[in-house]
Amino acid sequence: MKNLGIYILFLFGFMITEPVLAQQHLSPARKQAIDSLAMEKVRDLSKYITIIGSKNTPWSEANRVIDRAEELFMPGSQMGVSSLAKPKVTYYSVRKYFERLMRLNYSKVEIEWYKINYVSDLQRQPDGTYVGVITIFQKFKGYDKEGRLIYEDTTKKDITVFVKRKQAQIGGRLIGFWDVLLGDVRVKETSR
Amino acid sequence: MLKKSLSLTTSYILVVVSVFMLMGGLSSCKSKKKLAKEKAAAEYTARVQQAKKDLTAILNNTSPWPLKQQIKRVEVIKSYNIADPEVKGLITKAEEKLKSEQAVAARKAAEEKLREAEAKKQMSEQARFEHLNLIFKQIAEVQSYTEADDKINKALEIFATPEIPVLIIIAQSEGFNDYDRPTTIKKFLNYIKDMKSYDYRVDSIKKDVHGKITELELIKK
Repeated sequence: MKNLGIYILFLFGFMITEPVLAQQHLSPARKQAIDSLAMEKVRDLSKYITIIGSKNTPWSEANRVIDRAEELFMPGSQMGVSSLAKPKVTYYSVRKYFERLMRLNYSKVEIEWYKINYVSDLQRQPDGTYVGVITIFQKFKGYDKEGRLIYEDTTKKDITVFVKRKQAQIGGRLIGFWDVLLGDVRVKETSR
Repeated sequence: MLKKSLSLTTSYILVVVSVFMLMGGLSSCKSKKKLAKEKAAAEYTARVQQAKKDLTAILNNTSPWPLKQQIKRVEVIKSYNIADPEVKGLITKAEEKLKSEQAVAARKAAEEKLREAEAKKQMSEQARFEHLNLIFKQIAEVQSYTEADDKINKALEIFATPEIPVLIIIAQSEGFNDYDRPTTIKKFLNYIKDMKSYDYRVDSIKKDVHGKITELELIKK
């Protein structure tokens, strides 16, 4: 009797998870689309950081972009900040990082992200979330009001990426979508 | 006496000549018939051989003729009513094969017609959306924030509200769409302003009774 109960429970559990699992089976084309989507979000972040850091960006626009940039991240995510002057890496909440970036004491700031690549492909976790790591190189240049370059560094950072299947009610129907969220951005190395 | 014997001889000669002429005529009549019979037999044999050759080529897919001509040829061969059992067998097989090929060709033609109609429909729909794509492209290409915001405000007039949902298709496969996180039209227009790039095309729209857009679906190029 006990065994029968366990058997029924197992069968019930299988009936619930099987359709979900079947839905999660991704063809190579779909997996590639998700990989590209996650990469695109990192590129979007790169663009937002450039806009926020630029002294040419109006204050209202920079604040709007900070809101958009923050939406790219999971709640509680942190951004690592390093400097050639200090060996220790400091971690800020993403919002705090963007606000500090906007107020940097340079007349001109140039931030460029390049060599944006997966170091760890998106892998499906037991709960259905896909997790991967994308690495970026960041070139930072700070100028004074005379246009002189007063600080420059290159930093290598790793960004954890999470992709989860979610649903939303749109126009009276349920739409399934891929929600890409960035996690912590960790500094790996800083050089001149 | 002499006259009588001359007339007898002449008659005799005439009879002999007539007999010879008759015999000659008879034999040429016979050989004409024989020739005609032989000719007919040869023609029949040639026809049978050609029929076998043509039918075999049709069955082996080595016939140089298009489908319609092959069907016509089989009909012609059939009309000969050739008694040869091999030819009859080949005709039956050829007819079956051509019937099946005809059905496949008809199905392909119907599918092609459907594909063309679909492509035509899509093109006309895309033409309908072209003005929207152009508006979005112009927002992305503008350099100044002020000008971009002006274009955004103008674009928002064709939408029911700034919060109408925008769905972005990232992949399509077997009629199934994969979407990015839904956004709003105002956020999307500001997004293309920030990125300075519009890499999408309008896939579908929904409108309300006033003709304002209430839902927008885009697909990544």
